[in-house]
Amino acid sequence: MGRVVVAGVVEVEGLVKHFRVHERQAGLRASLRSVVRRSYREVRAVEDVSFTLAAGEVVGFLGPNGAGKTTTLKCLSGLLHPTAGTVRVLGHEPHRREAAYLRRIAMVMGQRNSLFWDLPALDAFEVHRTVYRVPGALYREQLDEVVDLLELEPLLAKQVRVLSLGERMRCELAASLLHRPEVLFLDEPTLGLDVNAQAALRGFLRDYNTRHGATILLTSHYMGDVTALASRVLVIDAGTLRFDGDLAALVAEHAPHRRVRVSLREVVAPEVLARYGDVVEVDGAVATLRVARSDTAAVATRLLSELPVEDVSIEDPPVEDVIRAVFARG
Amino acid sequence: MAEVFAAYPGLVRSSVQAALAYRGRMVLWVVTGFFPLLLMAVWLTVVAESGPPAGWDAGDFLAYYVAAAVLWHLSGQHVVWEWDGDMRSGDLSARLLRPVHPFHQYAAGDVGHRLVMLSLLGPALLAAVLLVPGLGYDVGPLRLALVALAVVLAYALSLLMASTVALLGFWTTQTTNVWMLWWGLGSFTSGWVAPLELLPAWLQELAVVLPFRSTLGFPVELVTGRLDAAQTATGFAVGVAWAGVFAALYVVGWRRGVRRYQAVAG
Repeated sequence: MGRVVVAGVVEVEGLVKHFRVHERQAGLRASLRSVVRRSYREVRAVEDVSFTLAAGEVVGFLGPNGAGKTTTLKCLSGLLHPTAGTVRVLGHEPHRREAAYLRRIAMVMGQRNSLFWDLPALDAFEVHRTVYRVPGALYREQLDEVVDLLELEPLLAKQVRVLSLGERMRCELAASLLHRPEVLFLDEPTLGLDVNAQAALRGFLRDYNTRHGATILLTSHYMGDVTALASRVLVIDAGTLRFDGDLAALVAEHAPHRRVRVSLREVVAPEVLARYGDVVEVDGAVATLRVARSDTAAVATRLLSELPVEDVSIEDPPVEDVIRAVFARG
Repeated sequence: MAEVFAAYPGLVRSSVQAALAYRGRMVLWVVTGFFPLLLMAVWLTVVAESGPPAGWDAGDFLAYYVAAAVLWHLSGQHVVWEWDGDMRSGDLSARLLRPVHPFHQYAAGDVGHRLVMLSLLGPALLAAVLLVPGLGYDVGPLRLALVALAVVLAYALSLLMASTVALLGFWTTQTTNVWMLWWGLGSFTSGWVAPLELLPAWLQELAVVLPFRSTLGFPVELVTGRLDAAQTATGFAVGVAWAGVFAALYVVGWRRGVRRYQAVAG
């Protein structure tokens, strides 16, 4: 199969997407008024966003609701025409939705059913094979792989409409990978799943990325998805890209402090602990201190030599807190 | 294009499977399949009470409406509701992401449903042709071939017309109502309200150049032996021309409309 070689698998330059939406107040009077006079509002969903993804990268796309994550993903997959800017994925302009492009990508939307509602999952997979023109041998190989890794065997004969959300999401993901896409856009892939199902999906995606070198861009409200899969994150807010870099760099940049958790053999007064850092919490003989990132090693050494320490651990703050800090700084 | 049609067998098969999933729906289809025969019953009453109108006797009405029942089921208008629902819910997104144009996805889906419906209705109508006295079609191989072509043209035009109207969904939420208006007005010149021969001359002349007759009246008139060679040629020419017009309108409508798609709800 001839493949186009490109510098960046995903190249986004100055992407802008605006919508015009009809809006009206609640109530009968507003309803009647809207019959005569419509009011519209322009929504600036994405404003001048630029980034590049290299082949095989797994990147987390973070931001609050309405930040522009899903809109960006829809522009990348070809569902939306950009208002301005350029988008190239695998050398294609996505909004043209050429068949040659769509066969090389997949987009999984957590709230959307792309399977055939009235058919058993296996029949839906078969339709997918036909539509994507997946060669028989590749289809069987890929089907075996997804059935095995996502534990789909008991689900294959069930109509899609009777599957639970978690079961359906696993089938959705399986179907989207049957043509072995090189680029995956995942919008909230673990939405509504229980902890076990989330872990299974994350494990599967990690494995798929490793096996096939696929490029993955995923949005998620579950920070666990991002920390488990992505080393690089894009942070977007109000349609504007706020951060693009390593997850570790994000934490370092926006969380200048680390947490030092110290277990002591005996209770130590808070005033004493305050000499080592800001006391966040004291629970009996266990204390949590907030220490400047650059001082953590020295503070840990001092704690070990000066206090009756049983154990010391140093942690970054939860990524959720870091993201909140990013948005709070504006 | 060959690549697109290669996807049809799988899509049609899935549509047949989906159609077979609901037994109650199949029963309802068969029942609604006989709707044109209600109109026939009205005309048979007219014949019984006032004599044959314009020379149409009971056998003529029987032949006309049994054929019309088949064409009634070979309408592609159902895709309007499919498009409309998908645009409103955002489910069109899933179709847009597949490497086959949504037109073909809806068309293949509709073909599957038509096949199931005709496989149920066909034997019933065939039995009627064989058993009902006075009902029959005097068709030789050539006319049969022409009828088959006219039926394919009728379905293709109906599908193109419905799909084109469905694209209005990119601009308005009233697509199905627009379609009902379009279909309602068209039913006077399609041969649905009454055989065109029974309508005023000016309406007959208008019907010949409008697209609606090609979707129902023309193949029915052809199979019932009411058209000479010139009328048959005109019927095909008009149908093909309108198919071309709607194909062009569809392409333009699609290019302009899809840019407006907002992929709502997720």
